[in-house]
Amino acid sequence: MTGLYANTIRETASQLDAVMGLSAPSRAPSQRFRREGRAGYLFLAPSLLFFTVFLILPSFFAIFLSLSQWGGYDLTQITFIGVKNYSDILSFDGTFVSPILVNTLVFAALSVVLAVAGSLLVAQCIERLRFQGFWRFLYFLPVVATVVAIGNVWKMMYQPSGLINGLLNALHINSVGFLSDPKIALPSVAVVQAWASIGAAVLILTAGIKAIDRTVYEAAEIDGANSWQSFWGITLPLLRPSLLFVFITQCIAGLQSFALIIVMTKDGGPVNSTNVAAFEMYQQAFKFGAWGTASAMAMALFVIIFIITLVQLWVSRRAGDDD
Amino acid sequence: MRTFPFGRHNRLTTVALVASAAALTLSACSVSGGSGSTGGKVTLTFLSHYGQEPLKSGLTKLIDQWNSTHPDIQVKQQTVSFDDLLTTLNVRQTGGKGADILSSYALWGGQLAATGVLDKPSVDVASDIKNNYSQAAADAVTGDTGQVFGYPTEFNTYVLYYNKKILADAGYNKPPTNWAQLKEIAEKTTAKDSSGNYQIEGLSLIQDGDNQTAHPFLSLLDAAGGKLLDAKGNSALDAKAMSVMQLESELAKSGVTTTSIMPTKTFPSNRVAMAIQASWWIGSLKEQMKEDYANVGTAPVPGPEAGEKGSLAYAFFTGVNSGSKHKKEGWEFLTWLNSAKNKEGVTEMGDFLAGNGLIPPRKADAAILGPKLQAKDANLTPIYDAASYAMAESNAANAYKAKTSLHNSLNEILVNKAPVDQIFKSLASEINRK
Repeated sequence: MTGLYANTIRETASQLDAVMGLSAPSRAPSQRFRREGRAGYLFLAPSLLFFTVFLILPSFFAIFLSLSQWGGYDLTQITFIGVKNYSDILSFDGTFVSPILVNTLVFAALSVVLAVAGSLLVAQCIERLRFQGFWRFLYFLPVVATVVAIGNVWKMMYQPSGLINGLLNALHINSVGFLSDPKIALPSVAVVQAWASIGAAVLILTAGIKAIDRTVYEAAEIDGANSWQSFWGITLPLLRPSLLFVFITQCIAGLQSFALIIVMTKDGGPVNSTNVAAFEMYQQAFKFGAWGTASAMAMALFVIIFIITLVQLWVSRRAGDDD
Repeated sequence: MRTFPFGRHNRLTTVALVASAAALTLSACSVSGGSGSTGGKVTLTFLSHYGQEPLKSGLTKLIDQWNSTHPDIQVKQQTVSFDDLLTTLNVRQTGGKGADILSSYALWGGQLAATGVLDKPSVDVASDIKNNYSQAAADAVTGDTGQVFGYPTEFNTYVLYYNKKILADAGYNKPPTNWAQLKEIAEKTTAKDSSGNYQIEGLSLIQDGDNQTAHPFLSLLDAAGGKLLDAKGNSALDAKAMSVMQLESELAKSGVTTTSIMPTKTFPSNRVAMAIQASWWIGSLKEQMKEDYANVGTAPVPGPEAGEKGSLAYAFFTGVNSGSKHKKEGWEFLTWLNSAKNKEGVTEMGDFLAGNGLIPPRKADAAILGPKLQAKDANLTPIYDAASYAMAESNAANAYKAKTSLHNSLNEILVNKAPVDQIFKSLASEINRK
């Protein structure tokens, strides 16, 4: 069988050589592949150039800066200092590990849990309503709005004389310092982050729900399953790939959050309670001119996001969501 | 078999290196994109935070005056809010669009000088600043190596503002002259309703903007004879600093001071008895309080013992970008702006600053304008006097970072009531980590 196959290949190759007029049988495909390879690289060039200039070069530059001391502007003033930036920021008597990294993780966890739970609830409700397009559009609106507008509107609502405290006072509950109390400032901003990102998650989850075969629900109904059992037994397991995607993207967005913090609390206050890694990086680089420290923080955050994403993927694969 | 891929990698590496070198060289070479020059006429760009009235029109008037008499060197204003000034300066400088002339907070001066952004002024300009400006103003714009950053402009000192009526109602007809009195009066004047809401805050130790808790603390620290940083930017915190932290901690724990009340909003409505604030505040108090301004008094920030006093002085400066193609013209304009005298013998800049309720940093201007202004308002006397003894705010390369750490530490004491010795240690190590 193998010999027959080899003979066929040899015959085909010699026929091809005859047609193309090539004397050396092994050079023809090689040259063609090279030509095609060059054409392929040519087509890829714009994208590769974009990625090289805006992603690969800055990434390598950031890694290099994380091992250096640099005040900005003059490239001749970059001084290599090894891992000092890392030892400084990861020192437990500093502020980066606690409270900044702790705040970052708490903020991401809170916003992910709230956004995923909220979007799942909304998607499930929309599925049972008429005019589904309208409801999806309504919940998608915050995604279109700018973070600055969202942050400022919520900031006004959180004020002591704002709408939320007004409602609490009407219920004879004392005003809450949503953004001035160090204990609740971070959760208050996380609620806004979750609210602002629910729209995009709802779209993905609605598409996931629609992709579930209706006959599975019908079979469950015949077997006597109620709505709650159908949700736990059918919707949730079959929605796992969509949920995983939402979970990972929300988690990354939560870990990288910056704009909302700067709009709502301005300086990461009160008492550093809303200071997160991305905001601290901005402060170090653009305010204090400590580009090396900022880059080391960026690398630390990158590693954390990478590990969390790997864990999420691993957990998901163990549960059988490879496809 | 292995040579081919390695060869390709080498080529790719070469391409990447050339591209990166080109990108970096381009960004490094184009430091200043501010100025322009056409037909012998030079246009200088001037970045400042004087974007709001009345400062904007005041500076515009001066620039128009220069432009009309110097057709070959025209100055164009670029303004941003103070909150965006440093970021704008950083981003434009990095992007090669730095302005020719910069107005900067002196706190950032060391950082800008260390990164080579600031041009060194001529010997004449430097000696004019060292000899003819008040000591605190000159110190605020002089780096640890002796480099003068530029001409001092906005210059402020800190004093204790107090409400005479609130103090009189509590049985005091004079402001405190030592810390024991400060605590006593703050306790006696503090008033809360049955729900615990403040009706009158005894002493305010916070202010708006970037300085927040830092400047009142530094004023008290100067009164105690201490410092935050040495000339190299290392922690200079000692037992005196610990005593100021202890004082603030006791005041916070006894409930006579709180960071939840912003004095700029509540002092004018007679709801704050005392506040440590900058001199610029006097202008807005007059405007907001109208007849009630008669209740306002000012006094030196008291030290631990009677007779001891202190103040913090901070300044802004106008300097020239080292990357400007027209540095000489830039300094020519700044020298005119800060030296040319009007009919009264006062510099244009001094007149502009005094007109906006600020202390003219040039000694000769202050000597002419000071007595006239103090005759109209006695509250200005402690403010002008403080210029002679105030501690200039540090401008070390890490000063801004250190000040932010100080503010966070003070908030731990004032808001979270954290133990002073623990905060003191962590602040010192945070500062020294640079």
